[in-house]
Amino acid sequence: MSLLEASGLTKSFAGIQALSDVTLSVDDGERVGLIGPNGAGKTTFFNCLLGVLRPDQGMVRFDGHDLGGWPVHRRAQAGIGRTFQRIELFADTTVREHLLIAERVRAGNGGFWKDLLGRGRPTAGEIEACDQVLELLDLRARADDPIEALSLGEGRLVEVGRALMTEPTLLLLDEPSSGLDRHETTALADTLRAVQAERGFAILLVEHDVELVASFTERTYVLDFGTLIADGPTDQVMADAAVRSAYLGDLELS
Amino acid sequence: MLLANVAEDLFRSVLQGVPPGAVFALIALGFVLTYKTSGVFNLAFGAQAYISAAMYFQAVNEWGWHRVPAVILAVFVLAPAIGLILERFIFRGLRTASSVAKLVVAIGLTVAMPPLFELGPAVMAAAVVVVPLLWFVLERTLFPRVDVAAGTAAGTIRVVNTVLVLVAAAGLVTLVAELEGLGIVLKAIVASVGVVLAISVYRHADLGATTRTVTAIVIGAVLVALLAEAPEFETVAGSTPVGLVPDGAGVFYDPFGVYPWSRDELAQMAVAVLAMVGLAAVFRYSAIGLAMRAVVESPRMTELAGIQADRVSAFAWALSSLFAGLAGVLIAPRFNTLDDVAFFELVVVAIAAAAIGRLTSLPWALAGGIGLGVVISVGNTFLPRWADDISWLEPIADDFGVAVPFLVLFVILVFTPSIRRSTETTDPLSGVDPPPPASAAVTRSHTLTVATRVFAVVFFTVLGWWVFFSADASWLFLVTQAVIMSTIFLSITVITGFAGQISLCQATFAAIGGFTMYQLADRWDVSVLVGALLGGLVAAAVGALLSLPVRRLGGVWLAIATLAFAFFFDAVMVKFTWIGPTSLLQGARVPRPELGPIDFGDDTSFLVLALIVFAITALAVIQLREGTVGRTLRALRGSELAAQSIGINPSRARMIAFAVSAFIAALGGAMLSMQQGNVNYQQNFSPFVGLFWLVLVVTISARTVEGAANAGAAFGLMERVLLRNVLHLSGKWRFIFFGLTSVQFARHPEGLLEFGKRRSITAIDAKLAEWRARRDGTDGADDSEPAPTDHAGAEEAVR
Repeated sequence: MSLLEASGLTKSFAGIQALSDVTLSVDDGERVGLIGPNGAGKTTFFNCLLGVLRPDQGMVRFDGHDLGGWPVHRRAQAGIGRTFQRIELFADTTVREHLLIAERVRAGNGGFWKDLLGRGRPTAGEIEACDQVLELLDLRARADDPIEALSLGEGRLVEVGRALMTEPTLLLLDEPSSGLDRHETTALADTLRAVQAERGFAILLVEHDVELVASFTERTYVLDFGTLIADGPTDQVMADAAVRSAYLGDLELS
Repeated sequence: MLLANVAEDLFRSVLQGVPPGAVFALIALGFVLTYKTSGVFNLAFGAQAYISAAMYFQAVNEWGWHRVPAVILAVFVLAPAIGLILERFIFRGLRTASSVAKLVVAIGLTVAMPPLFELGPAVMAAAVVVVPLLWFVLERTLFPRVDVAAGTAAGTIRVVNTVLVLVAAAGLVTLVAELEGLGIVLKAIVASVGVVLAISVYRHADLGATTRTVTAIVIGAVLVALLAEAPEFETVAGSTPVGLVPDGAGVFYDPFGVYPWSRDELAQMAVAVLAMVGLAAVFRYSAIGLAMRAVVESPRMTELAGIQADRVSAFAWALSSLFAGLAGVLIAPRFNTLDDVAFFELVVVAIAAAAIGRLTSLPWALAGGIGLGVVISVGNTFLPRWADDISWLEPIADDFGVAVPFLVLFVILVFTPSIRRSTETTDPLSGVDPPPPASAAVTRSHTLTVATRVFAVVFFTVLGWWVFFSADASWLFLVTQAVIMSTIFLSITVITGFAGQISLCQATFAAIGGFTMYQLADRWDVSVLVGALLGGLVAAAVGALLSLPVRRLGGVWLAIATLAFAFFFDAVMVKFTWIGPTSLLQGARVPRPELGPIDFGDDTSFLVLALIVFAITALAVIQLREGTVGRTLRALRGSELAAQSIGINPSRARMIAFAVSAFIAALGGAMLSMQQGNVNYQQNFSPFVGLFWLVLVVTISARTVEGAANAGAAFGLMERVLLRNVLHLSGKWRFIFFGLTSVQFARHPEGLLEFGKRRSITAIDAKLAEWRARRDGTDGADDSEPAPTDHAGAEEAVR
């Protein structure tokens, strides 16, 4: 059984069919891509997986659980980590503090009464755990910097680090290349590959940067107008005629 | 027979409800208009309505004007002028601010505007006429914007500006010397010159820091001297209002033979109908109406189409303020006395009406207003009858109708998904708060930190010595009150500073604390100290429960929902004898506490108790901030979605924040009641009081314990120390000062205190470094430290 199984996801907004009968699966430790032109329904699909939106039909299974009706935070606790297309960081907080709070929530060993007894401050162990991940992401030197001082690429890495602290078994990356140049995108992909090799989680990459998907993923799904038009090993999908006309052709025009 | 009676009563109460409903509708229309065109949730409409009603009263009763010119002045000149001023000088600059920031500013204005008006014609005339005029002239001629990088021209302009400001300041000083013979109008002009100069200097002129400071101080002194002498509208507040038409309340017409409408009521309906027809005509036939419809649809697209959204928004403000003024003058005769709080309730009712129209539909807002008027009236007629049979309803039967709009508002907010989802603002470019800068204490140099600590110890030793050993009873009372208020304000630090939520029912939580303690002590002889703690727990439970229905509401909606709760408590819950006092005459008396052999009945020992409670609470708040709770809330405040994505449960985190905040507020409320020997609900805990608390704390600083302490000090001591003894000004200036300075919240959400500290720390540290460099060069200067601010000292003492 796959780690993530979305079957028959359908969602419409005021008569517009955003997703129709989309079925997708991700196995343990796999790197899977989901591509499609703007407006293809990628974000809607993403939000259905994460519980931000409720699909009209279809179901999402993760790690053997039916996620129907689970709120966003519970899915996160179950092991789905994510990053954001438009970067979402906590203002007024340092890089390390981003990871600390995630670590604290994961371990579930903090709370109101502990705080009151003065035992809510970060422990040496927690700081150590965070610094390990920061080391992995090459952000160790920036650990004490306020989040406002980071570049977009670094900010995205902080998002990855924050997600990693929750020890996800699946990491959803929502257009990680947006706002980054070619060089930064490659660097990000390299870092992600290295981190994944060490931690062994699965990745679902939602992108419209074809090059990134082609070089990064093992399997790819292609979404167009809310429907899956192709799926399979990435190199085969990239060669598919339907994909080229729906998506790559589109790209050449723009 | 019986049925016929009921039908007749129903018909009568409907007829009775339509006139006030028409007035609610007027305000609701204005409210929707402003909200849609500028994204401002203008709670200050109540204050604007009050000002027009009071101006009308002043003109007719005190100056003996005829009603027609009085209406023209109060409604057609003053009301739109206020709207234009607010739009141009406050809200236009806040266009990109978040809607919560705009709401806070509107609350500040609600607090500041009525006392500003009551300070009299001089201040008013200056504010309405002279300031904008001078501003315009200066903006266009004397103070062209200085671009620092513009080369030699900038130097010339700088010299010119410096000379101009110095000349103006000198002129002011000369004028002040001859104040005796100066008429009111001239004083007003001088005052406004001062205001304009101060702001112009601040905004445009590239002066040296010293010149700027000196000028500002001189101008400030002149202003204070002038304002201290300005005559006030002393008679306005609390007097009985007059209606729009002669014999308004005395002559009746009875078209249906059921309910006689007074002339006042007929006028209310007629004017409301006229206003709506006029509004419809403007929308349908005029160019600006078309533009306004476009802006309502999409402000960005409208600007792209070449329509100036600024002009449209200014027009909408003028128009909606006119409606507010009109409503104020019309509704005034219904109130026994002119009182800004009553007008504020009016605007909350209007918000309920607007919410019925989802805050977007004008016709529905209209229908909602009239509907609420009718429902209130029907409720007032029938509820007392039903209550005859149900004994527990009896104490509230007469007030339940009044509370209906608050219930309606609360229910609509909680159960309407479209309101929840509408992302608060109409401007897609807005909605991002500026990232708050690092706390000032973090960036401070070591020398300065040591100096601050030394100063703090000295300052508080001297202060403590004086308070405990030589201050008289009245000072002791004020200091104790300041300490207790600081405790209460820590509740705002938690909910607003940490969780980033605007709660307008903190005063209600405080009241719950006071009343629980009173009931326990009164009925079961429970010690007041135990009672205070239990009161805190009860309030925490109420806060946690309240957080459930409102958990999905964002920013502004949450604030409004808590306001509705506060008003509901105010209108209904207090009347229950298991909450409030059994008899109003006797009040809710509570004794001072005793703990074993220690009797806190003595004022000095009670101050010690208050200090201990504050210290423990402050310590707990700091622990929470540094611990899991504070970090979780900070994450949620930063990005709710991202916080959820790492497994944070937002409802649970907010519930904790609400419960903690309610507990602290209730504990403080109980302490305040112990100090005064009575739960003075009206004076200390009414919803309107809660507004001022919020304004005060966010203005000073909602993020730190030190901010709460300073806010408490300002609340308890500012009037006596600064206003009365030093500046000889009326206590109203407290409201004006903090109300108006809340405008800065949009740009500096960290508060005045943090902002000022950061600036002064940077400046002092720079001077220190400079001085050290010089000493190292010349060698042998002695080792004196610069005096830090006492704010910084307060913080150290608190930690």
